[in-house]
Amino acid sequence: MESVLGIETSCDETAAAVVRADLVTLSSVVESSIDQHRDFGGVVPELAGRAHVATIRPVVERALADAGLDPQRPGITGIAVTAGPGLVGSLLVGLSFAKALALAWDLPYVGVNHLEGHLFAPLLESPGLEWPLMTLLVSGGHSMIVYQRGPGEHEVLGETVDDAAGEAYDKVARWLGLGYPGGPVIDRLALEGSAARLPLPRGMLGSGLDLSFSGLKTAVVRATEGRDDLALADVAASFQATLAEQLLRKLRAALSHHDARSVALAGGVAANSALREGVAALAAELGVAAHLPALAMCTDNAAMIAAAGLHRLAHGGASPLTLSARPNWDLREVA
Amino acid sequence: MIALAIETATPACAVALEVDGAVAEEVLDLERRHTEVLAAGVARLLAATGVVPADLDRVVVDRGPGLYTGLRVGIATALGLALATGAGLLPVTSLEVLATAAARAGATGELVALVDGRRGEVFAQRFSLEPVTALDRARVLRPEALAPELAARPALLCGDGARRYRDAFAGAEVLDLAVPPPSAALELARGREPAETVVPLYLREADAVANFTTRTRAT
Ligand SMILES: [Zn+2]
Repeated sequence: MESVLGIETSCDETAAAVVRADLVTLSSVVESSIDQHRDFGGVVPELAGRAHVATIRPVVERALADAGLDPQRPGITGIAVTAGPGLVGSLLVGLSFAKALALAWDLPYVGVNHLEGHLFAPLLESPGLEWPLMTLLVSGGHSMIVYQRGPGEHEVLGETVDDAAGEAYDKVARWLGLGYPGGPVIDRLALEGSAARLPLPRGMLGSGLDLSFSGLKTAVVRATEGRDDLALADVAASFQATLAEQLLRKLRAALSHHDARSVALAGGVAANSALREGVAALAAELGVAAHLPALAMCTDNAAMIAAAGLHRLAHGGASPLTLSARPNWDLREVA
Repeated sequence: MIALAIETATPACAVALEVDGAVAEEVLDLERRHTEVLAAGVARLLAATGVVPADLDRVVVDRGPGLYTGLRVGIATALGLALATGAGLLPVTSLEVLATAAARAGATGELVALVDGRRGEVFAQRFSLEPVTALDRARVLRPEALAPELAARPALLCGDGARRYRDAFAGAEVLDLAVPPPSAALELARGREPAETVVPLYLREADAVANFTTRTRAT
């Protein structure tokens, strides 16, 4: 059966995976350089690039070994690699490595859009998922609502006009002195707090189906500045509830205008407990199937890139060896 | 013996292929398009020579110091080729490649190889050319800081750093040698044993503060 080696190096994860055409994941390896970035409150591009070049070969080697493949005769049918969007100095490590493999193995390879990879992630866990699919893709770099009639047929209905959802978490965590990354720590704290003790204004939604989070961050700063009496857990709970409410309102509006049969959460912020509960409840209320990814499928990984690559190689074909990294590659430009 | 050499330490991208002693060399680009030209150039050179990648015994790669993005493209390509073909990896430095090329061209005495380090600095190392022997360690410094040293102890200069800062080293003879030739890298690596792995020779800590941005985080 056809199978593809996926490679992902767009941000701080160096990842490789082998996925079969029936979307069975034969191996998936993810190494993160996140510990090197913690002190800086965000991913430092130069550190990420250095980590990728040091890690790419062992990660790919391990993914091949885990799938039982010989690196000199892997018996796969193609290679998929993230070509963008992302950090250019990181993207070009995976891209160059993938091209070298394609050249040496004489195999087709394809440059994949990272966001399209996220859109394929739900299929890896639920191959029988019913279309059309509405996906809320929320991460540290992106926040969007995407409608898909079938695999690869995506329509971006709305996206953030300022910060990404994960970025809002990081900024609020920094303001509250909670460290980086902000998502997990705020989520944990929020479980111990009460959103009702610190109501935040609700009037900072973007227009239509677009999203907006910078106003929410400002509201948290205003509501907490100089207030030593507030419990951090209550602030975390209130911020988290307000952010989830905004996302769910937009998702509800999107679902009311489109005939989706399934709804999926994708991206790093899909690990958020409030959002998971909210999406599950919304889907149950509207009678559509909810797909909530396993925690390992929320972070960047290469299985999702391989899955998107399988689709791209089957429809439209391979990339030339001259392909450039595309740090600002818009999902709408993926045809 | 079939060996490929990859050169990406400066804005230029070049490759060389040695098949049983015969060497073909090609400069693919001069404008920082390493990502776009390298793999295609390697494929073309191999095809033109009738070599299939699986035949490669050795992959020689310039690990810098030099242009960080170029080094990453060159080293990632070399790592991928080595993994997929089983070829041995042979790292060389840009500065020793320059010195080897200068000696090959007939230069004698002492030479300071200079690679443009950007941000107003050069990567520098002094060599004696008969035979090519490093006299100090590769370092990064401002051209103005190197000038007094050169005045006290003259040397030939080469490399794109010498070309760019020619005025700072007034009086020194600058060889017409800006790009480290991959054919000289092949020559340099000839007697060496393959390495386990290769990482770029940065010579600088990541400038975390200057490069700091969270904007493009894409998890
Ligand atoms: Zn991502």
